[in-house]
Amino acid sequence: MSRRFLARAGAAAFLALAVLAGPVVASAGVPVGIRVIKGSRQGPAEVDPRLDDLKRQLSPLAYVRWELVRSEKLDLERGKTEFVPLPGGDSVGVTMQEQRGDVVTFEVSLTSRNTESRLTVEKGQRIVHQVTPEKGGEALFVTVQAWP
Amino acid sequence: MEVDDLSLVSKARTGDPDAFRALVVRFQRKVYAVALGIVKDPDLAWDVAQEAFVRVHQSLATFEGKSAFSTWLFRITTHLAIDTLRKERPTQKEDVDEVREADLEGGGEGILSTALGNDPRANVLRRELAAKIQDALANLSEKHRTILVLREVEGLSYEELAERLGIHKGTVMSRLFHARKNMQAALRRYAGRPARAASEEEEQP
Amino acid sequence: MTSCPRFAPLLGARPGELSSSEMRALEAHLATCERCRLAAADLAVTDGLVRDGLIQKANARDFAPFVDEVMARIAGAGPARHLPAVAPAARGLRAWLAGHRRAVATALAPVLAAAALIVYVRQQGQRPGQVAMLELASEGDVTMVLQTSDGPVVLLGEERT
Repeated sequence: MSRRFLARAGAAAFLALAVLAGPVVASAGVPVGIRVIKGSRQGPAEVDPRLDDLKRQLSPLAYVRWELVRSEKLDLERGKTEFVPLPGGDSVGVTMQEQRGDVVTFEVSLTSRNTESRLTVEKGQRIVHQVTPEKGGEALFVTVQAWP
Repeated sequence: MEVDDLSLVSKARTGDPDAFRALVVRFQRKVYAVALGIVKDPDLAWDVAQEAFVRVHQSLATFEGKSAFSTWLFRITTHLAIDTLRKERPTQKEDVDEVREADLEGGGEGILSTALGNDPRANVLRRELAAKIQDALANLSEKHRTILVLREVEGLSYEELAERLGIHKGTVMSRLFHARKNMQAALRRYAGRPARAASEEEEQP
Repeated sequence: MTSCPRFAPLLGARPGELSSSEMRALEAHLATCERCRLAAADLAVTDGLVRDGLIQKANARDFAPFVDEVMARIAGAGPARHLPAVAPAARGLRAWLAGHRRAVATALAPVLAAAALIVYVRQQGQRPGQVAMLELASEGDVTMVLQTSDGPVVLLGEERT
């Protein structure tokens, strides 16, 4: 079993390294929309109209009030990381790792905490990722969407 | 869950740790629920559940796919749970499986269906009863708890229960009868109390 | 001496578990026996309670560490609770990798540490055929990922010092 595992790990590592080392061709980036939003438990219960497209996805959460803090649109090339600053000095790293047709893999990393999340979504889906722990009933989230 | 068990199992058999992890995550809660029903103690059930997956992992190479993976997994879980109990309490007074006239007397039939009303699933009392199931089950003997859990949580048929427990189908049915009867007796005590009184009791240390 | 003892155990049967002659005999008995009819009614309302109650307990419990602990036991590290206390960030995949140090070449470890564990889950949602591959790095304090048809929602655990 250990030998097979090593072979598989070897293949995966090779693949990962190949992806990261990538050809130095100016690959067309994927247009990505990144927003920083703030959720609060305290009312008034209101969702910024610019966040209407997130309403359904956010509905299971306990936060009743959602504000838009920051919005960016940019092209992300594979393997490149965009650092989005957060109020308070931290930042969130968003990396587009892979794209196959309508399916994209992003990595969201929080520099202040040891958190890296690798998430694969289809066109039309959004990643919503908490980026600060809840304090005083408020928390910050980042949303990432390819082809916004 | 669309990715079927068999493809994860064959990947796991070739040593793919991620496929095995996916299998664990898929079944962990149900395995825990079965273990909990049999051993009663949550931490012990946690331990038994983990050990079941360890055993499965050790024997992956020998799994031939003749039965469903889940059946195999639950069979291991059941045996582990029963063995764990036996270690704690080696001898138990034997229950009688046969159903006799005396077993039917004083049954209090109808109390539960009256209390729960016509649409039990929408009823708050039903949710409260479900929450009390662990306590009710704790009153039962190991044999009765086991057969009830296998019947309801794993969903085994009479035939499958007979095979799993090594008893005749007729014994399966009578043992289930006794198990249900005892469980319902325990539940009736809860159903008989007004909800407020029951929750006051829970707050007492 | 009634025939109830013969029929009472038949009451919990599911479709296909009784022969047609058993079914007919049971129906004939129930037509005349109120006690057994009430018993059947009680059985009907409590059907599934054991399952619901136990699954409820399972759902109430935090299973986030479960699979990592299983992998640690498989690696021969013993039950997770016997491991020496490790910093929270080192739990999970790293602990499991530590158990597999013999199998993992040092050069590969950093790559694998970033590669994380893969959970193949098909999202529920309005459109069938949507697959969300959720890969979570275990070095984080991610406590919950909600699967929605619009995409995943990742929540953080409590800050650890």
